[in-house]
Order: sequence, then C-alpha cells, then structure tokens
Amino acid sequence: MGKGAVNKLRNSIEDNLKEDELFEFAEFDEEEAKRGGYSNYSYWRSTWKVFISNRLAAFLLILIAALLLFTFIQPQLPNQKSPTKIHNHPETNLPLKNVKPNEEFWFGTNSIGQDLWARVWSGTRTSLLIAIIVGCWEAVVGITIGALWGYVRWLDRPITEIYNIINNIPKTIVLILMTYILKPSMFTMIFAICLTSWIDMARFVRNLTIIIRDREYNLASKCLGTPTRRIITKNLLPYLVSVIMLTIALSIPSTIGYEVFLTYIGLGLPVSTPSLGNLINEGRLLILNPSQRYQLIFPAIVISIITISFYILGNVFSDAADPKNHV
Amino acid sequence: MDKKKEVLLEVKNLRVEFGKRKKRFVAVDDVSFHIYRGETFGLVGESGSGKTTIGRAIIRLNETAGGEIIFDGKKINGKIDKELDKEITRRIQMIFQDPMASLNERAKVEYIVSEGLYNLKNYKTDEERKDKVEKAMLDVGLLPEFLSRFPHEFSGGQRQRIGVARSIVMEPELIIADEPISALDVSIRAQVLNLMADLQRKKGLTYLFIAHDLSVVRFITDRVAVIYKGKIVELAETERLYRNPLHPYTRSLFSAIPIPDPRKERAKKLEVYDPSCHHDYDKDPPKWVEIEPEHFILANERELEEYRKMLAKNGVQAIG
Amino acid sequence: MEDKKVILSVKDLVIKFRLRGDILTAIREASLDLYEGESLAIVGESGSGKSVFTKSFMGLLDANGWIDSGSIMFEGEDLAKFKTEKEWLKIRGKKIAMVFQDPMTSLNPLKTVGKQVQEAIELHQDIKGDEAKDLTIQILQDVGIHDPERRYNQYPHEFSGGMRQRVVIAIAVACNPRILICDEPTTALDVTIQAQILELLKGLKDKYNLTTIYITHDLGVVANVADRIAVMYAGDIIEIGKCEEVFYNPQHPYTWALLSSLPQLGVKGQDLFTIKGTPPNLFYEIKGDAFAPRNPRALKIDFVKRPPYFQVSPTHKAKTWLLDPRAPKVEPPESIRILRQQWEVGNNG
Repeated sequence: MGKGAVNKLRNSIEDNLKEDELFEFAEFDEEEAKRGGYSNYSYWRSTWKVFISNRLAAFLLILIAALLLFTFIQPQLPNQKSPTKIHNHPETNLPLKNVKPNEEFWFGTNSIGQDLWARVWSGTRTSLLIAIIVGCWEAVVGITIGALWGYVRWLDRPITEIYNIINNIPKTIVLILMTYILKPSMFTMIFAICLTSWIDMARFVRNLTIIIRDREYNLASKCLGTPTRRIITKNLLPYLVSVIMLTIALSIPSTIGYEVFLTYIGLGLPVSTPSLGNLINEGRLLILNPSQRYQLIFPAIVISIITISFYILGNVFSDAADPKNHV
Repeated sequence: MDKKKEVLLEVKNLRVEFGKRKKRFVAVDDVSFHIYRGETFGLVGESGSGKTTIGRAIIRLNETAGGEIIFDGKKINGKIDKELDKEITRRIQMIFQDPMASLNERAKVEYIVSEGLYNLKNYKTDEERKDKVEKAMLDVGLLPEFLSRFPHEFSGGQRQRIGVARSIVMEPELIIADEPISALDVSIRAQVLNLMADLQRKKGLTYLFIAHDLSVVRFITDRVAVIYKGKIVELAETERLYRNPLHPYTRSLFSAIPIPDPRKERAKKLEVYDPSCHHDYDKDPPKWVEIEPEHFILANERELEEYRKMLAKNGVQAIG
Repeated sequence: MEDKKVILSVKDLVIKFRLRGDILTAIREASLDLYEGESLAIVGESGSGKSVFTKSFMGLLDANGWIDSGSIMFEGEDLAKFKTEKEWLKIRGKKIAMVFQDPMTSLNPLKTVGKQVQEAIELHQDIKGDEAKDLTIQILQDVGIHDPERRYNQYPHEFSGGMRQRVVIAIAVACNPRILICDEPTTALDVTIQAQILELLKGLKDKYNLTTIYITHDLGVVANVADRIAVMYAGDIIEIGKCEEVFYNPQHPYTWALLSSLPQLGVKGQDLFTIKGTPPNLFYEIKGDAFAPRNPRALKIDFVKRPPYFQVSPTHKAKTWLLDPRAPKVEPPESIRILRQQWEVGNNG
C-alpha cells in the first residue's frame, strides 16, 4: 500500500492492541496496494545539484556571469569613456599615448591615446557577440542537419560524402579565403566562421542519433505513426541536450580563438572596431617592453577567463547531465 | 467456436532479408500462417529464429523481400497508399519487450499514451482526447493521476502497462506482443498476462504473442507456431502441440522447458536437436503440410510417414 | 545436512547504499549458513537484494555501498571486516568465484579465450607455462567445448552465447575455488542452451567438489539444480529449506505468491494468481513484516513486529507470523495445495 496508508494502519495497531488482537487479520486495501512506492526524482533538478556540487564550476559560473553582466552594463556606468576617442593631454594637447594604468585610465591608454579600459570592454562585447551568434548558428544548423543525417537513412550516404569533402578543407583556408574575398568586417567574420563550424556539431548529433534511433521507444513512435520531425524533437533531441550544451559552450572560446588568429594574420576586424583580437594584436607588439606590457596583459586576462570558464563549465555541465552521475 | 473462424491476418510465403548483396542474410524464409479474429496466436522460437522480424514486418517496421501479408482482406506489405497506412496504424499495434527502453524517458506519461492519438487526430476536442487517455489508463489498472509523471518514476510492471495503454488507446483489432513479459519479474508477469487476457475479453482483441518462454505460451495461446532459423517447423492448437509434438525441434524445445516441480524436473530427459542428424533434405526437400486438421508441419515424405505413425500410436487420425 | 560442515556463515548482515542523497538499506539483517558441497539457490525478484548479498562475499559492492553491520565468516576470517583490495584478492577468484549473467560482457573481446582461462590458472594456482596450457585445454574440454586445442586460439566473438558462458564458467572453475556463485547464469540464454548449461554446472560441481550458490528468479531452474532454496524479499531471507520442502510445503505467503503466479501452474481461461502492488521502498525503514502491505492475509502484528524464524522442520524455516501457534490457520492458494498433495502422495506412495 502507499506509505501513508501503511503508517496509518501501523499507528492504529501499535496504540491499543492486546496480544491476542494482534493475531487478527488486518484490513487490506487493494486500491491502496496499487499506489506503490515511486521515486520523486527530477532530471533537471538532479543535474543542477550535481553541477553545483562542483565548487570550481560554481565559482566560475558566478565569475563568468559577473563578467558578462559587467561587459554589457559597462557603458551605462558613470564616467566611462568612449573606446575610440583619442584623449589629449589637457595642457599640451598631445595625445596621451601609452599611459600606464592610473586613476583616470584604469587600464591605461594605448599607443594612440585611446582608453584601454573602454576598449577592452567594448572589444569583449564585440567578440562575445560574434561568438554567440556563431554558437546559435552552429546549434540550429548543426543540430538540424545532424539529426536528419542520422535519422533518415537514405540521407546518410549523400550527406556523409558532403561532410567528407567539406571536412577535408582546412578551416583556416576557408576563413582566409572568405575574409579576403569579402573584405574584413564583422559580417564577414561571422559569415566565414559560420560556414564551417556547424560541421562538428552535425557529426556529433548524427553519431548519437544513430545510436539511439533504433531503441524501442523510437520504434514504438513509428508504430504509432509519429512523423519524423516530431520523433526528432521529442524523442531524440532531449537525449542530446548535454552534448549540445557542451558543444555550444566550447564553441564560444573557439570562435574567439579564430577571431584572434585571423587578426594576427591581418584579416580580422578593422581597427576602428575594437575586438579582443585587435587588442591582443596591438598588445603583442609591445610584449618586449616591460612598461607597456599592460596593453597585452589586460585583454589576455579577459580572454583567458572566458576561455577557461566556458571550457570547464561546459564539461562539468555535460557530466552533470548524464543520469549515471546523478547520486 | 464459430466466431473464431474469420481470418484476420494471413501471411503467405513471407520472406525478409537484411543486408546488401554479399552480406545478404535471410531472416524469414517462406513463412505462411493465418490468425483468426479473437484468438491468441503464439509464435515461439529462440534468439535469431526470426520471430521478432515477422512481427515487425507485419507492422511495417521491416521491409519484406517476398510474399504477402494480408490484413482483413487487404495487402499491407510493400508499397501502400497513405490511407491504408493510416488505417493500419490504428488497427494494428505493438507491445514491446523492454519496459525500460520502450518509453520516452523525457516525456510525460500523458504524452506517451496520447502520442498515437495526436498522429491520428481522430478526436474533436482536447477533452475527448483526455477522456480516451484516462479510460485507457483505467483499463490497464493504472490511476489517471499517474499521467503527469515521468516513466522513471514507475516500476517495470507499471511501465509495461503504460506501453499497453499506449496501444489500446488506438482501439486496435490486432496487437502484436513482442515478448511482452520476458523482461519482467515473475510475479509481475502474472499481472500483465491477466491484464492482456482481460483486455482481450473486454475488447475482442486478437493477439500475435511472440515469445521464447514456452510455459507462458502454453498458458495464454490458442494456437502456436514453432519457428527455427527463419522457417516455421510446426503449427497446431496449443494443447495438441504440447501433448504430441512431432517435429524434432519442437520436441527438443519442449523437453528443455524448466518445470517448477523438483521431482518431475529431475526425472526429465533432455532431447537435443541437430538438423544434420535429424533431416536429410538434400534429395527430398520438405514441404509445409497439414498433417491433421489445423496441425501443420514442415517435413518431407519420409518424415511424414513417421509422423503419421506417431499420431496413430496416440490414437489420432491423420489426413492422407 | 546437519552433519555437513558450514563453510560460509553470514550473521545479521546489513548493507546500505547511498543513492541520490538518501540512504537505502538493501540487506536487512540477513543470515545464512552455507554447507560444504551443497547447491543453494537464492530466489528473489528485482529489488530483493539477492545479487547485492552475494556480491558482498567477494567485495564487489558498488562504490556507494557498504556493510553496515553483521559478519561473514569464511575460513576463520570475517569478510565483512575487509577494508583493502589486498585482503579481497586472497579471496576473490581464488576461494570464491563468480559467474555473471551476461557472457558477452564478461569476457575480454581482445584476448583469445585460451589466454583468458590460462591467465586465471596462472594467477590463482602455482602453475605456469605449458603445464598451465595443458590444464586449460583440459578445463575447456570439461566445460563441454569440443576441439579445445583449436578453440584455445579463438576470440570470444567467434563463440555463440552458450559457448561463451561455458568459457566464463571455465575461467571461474580454473581457479579451483571452494565456492562458486552463479548470478543468473542462464537468464540471457535460449531455453535449450539453458538446459545444457545447467547440466554442465551440475556435473562440474561433482567433479570439482564445488559448493555452489545459484541466484535466479526462475523457479524452474531452481527445481533442477538446487539442494536447498532460500527465498529473499526486501533484503531478508524469508524462507529457507530443502528444495522439496520449499516447493511442496511453502510456508511464507510471499513464497506462495511466487509459486502460484507461475504460468505452469495456471489454468487456462482463468486469471493467474498475482500479488498486488510493488516491492517496498527500501529508503524507508521497514517496521514489521516487509511483505505485509501486499499480503491480503496479513495479520495486524505483521505491521508492527518483525517475525522471527519459525522452524517447520529441522531443515526448513520461515519468517512469518502465520507459523506462530497463536495465529489463525490460513490455507495457501489452490495451486499450492495441489502441489502439496502430490508431494504427500509421493511420500506415502
């Protein structure tokens, strides 16, 4: 019987029975017997619990949340300077070049007198925006194609061939080519990276789909006449959530990495648009000069925090989402 | 007796193959049988015999390479039009073996049971759909309050009931039960068997019961077919078959059934089936023959002679 | 049975698991004496604890489980007190070996079958090299693998399911253990193969002088191989006795329910006897008889006080208040009565 009924019965017996009454038959409620014990386990709640129990992940989550929040709030704060404005010395009217961090310029200024603090946050905004857009594209296109690739049998052959061709072209070459043809701009950057980044997600999703597509519950759905699109969305994708989240989490630092790389080889965003890539690029020229190293260190710290955080958070979440780890 | 005589499903010379070209594997080879409306037809065999493949071919999960499957007079294998496909979806349903794998873990029970209805759209209002779903739950002995829960909150037996509810909510005529109780505990099996028998009485269902557990088959089926490596070797009314198995494979299978009675079990003699010893099919290939009314067997002439003699010894009159 | 030596003695064992933040008591003060040379079957359904119980004899409990109290006496040592892998290595494989259910995952797919058996020999017995190889071939023959010299060099995937299980049995037996535990050894196999494997195990038991424990939920298997049967429910052994005693004269209502729900004992056209409900939730402490909530013939005392063992015969006892002299007489279900009659006829006839 359900626990409630059993306890009730037990209490009534314990309270007031003499020895011979104990050996009488107890009431048996058949309906209650059906309410057997079942657990009160929730998948997402357990996932969250396991995730949070990892101290490092919890800390990084707070850190990155704060960083992101600050990045977007920063322009609204008082006394913020524009990232592109060149600041001149009030008296000499010369540009305040390469000023080390002080009270007015918290991160100092760069070689043409722009406020590094404002540039770092503006650059972070830009880079993150690119990364998030690419991440979303990757998710939507990668998952859709991957699921169809894995589930619809006659698509497997053709898409695999396409994949083989695309995958064999080094991503760097595609990026360089696109940027060269379309001329550097934010749109070009996003377009170029999106062109090839969906492939990995698609393959991931396709492999997992193949593993689960012949499980009995999917066969059952077919017997019930469920159309392919609903099988994908309701039967397959919920199982892939942890993998999908991991891939998206890892794609953000990866995109920023590409952006930095492209800037290194001169195909990044125009200098007028501050981005982490630009900042790193400008800063690296000064690495040998100890008094001006700060121009590299600050953007480097920001990139490192973002990369490490997303990487660790993605992995910890993916582990937490695996029901086998739910203790 | 008479209401059994209408043939609901007829399988003729069915052939199912897997793989391509060189790796072509014949899972089902020239299988023929028919199922009457309202009966429970058992299909018994060991792993790799092809029994699951037959069930899946009927419900169109597997493609057929030859032969015909005729349901209520219409051919349902191969290419068929959408209307017929939809009709079959409603009239033929399946219960799967593993209750842990046959339900969508991430969906609520309500969605799982309603899934077929969403596809058929044979209800006018959401109220009507909910009604049907609740009725199905009550029919299988589950409380409607369970609809808002997830499968992992239930035991194996309850999950299997949810699987049954999912099929009967479609109001089918034929249910293919593919080893529905193999993965359940002993005491839960009895519950599910009782449920299936109960539903059959109430709704006039016809079952194709696929199993490898011979004691269960004996209890629940009216007629049974024994399948070995893609071919049916013997088919007869259940009691008749269990009392007088003729084909050596049937005999070896039956002799291996564990009997929960120590004295009988220890006194049992095991028969072993070895196709190369028992048959000589090179010169005289076997045919599918009706040796007595409603008792079919796969044998060549020489073997048929022996079988007739065996039947005569048991006082049964054979055909021919 | 009384004059046989006890080689394993479990007393009031309590095993707990930490699961999803809560503590589950899987074994609740179970006691068992294992006699040398016998074949004991432990019968129970999922959740009864039968696997956990025997795994604790070999230190194979999952990482989130532990022995809370009780003792497992074997060869003068209390296995329940073992803390290190080193201690278990003396026992595992060498003295107590186990055959698992699924032969496909029990074997290493990358090593030849011969090598796997031979490794076991070389590890647990003091034999190496050619001598070990000869012994390996001998054992492969013993477990019924034809042409052992050739099959020595084959890989597991070249064997069928039944053959693989024979190999697994060979590995277990190669170490010459005193106790062989078989955890549902035939559940994953076809019926005809199952019968053959059971015959094999019976033969090996005689030849190698093994004491065997069978864990199963299949009462037909039990009837074939067991000398004694222990019925487990909710982490406790609720009935134990000689094979015939438990089959023909069961005393605990759960054993009745287990036997009468078998289709072999069913009458066509009538419903099978079933037990309503599901096994109890072991996260909660259970007071009284664990089976009471599902027992239509439960007594009031079943809900408050846990029944002790009541002796039915020198070799047969059961934990049910129905055996208390003060309890009312309760008739077992029809099918059990029929079995009992057959037994009495056999005894007297």
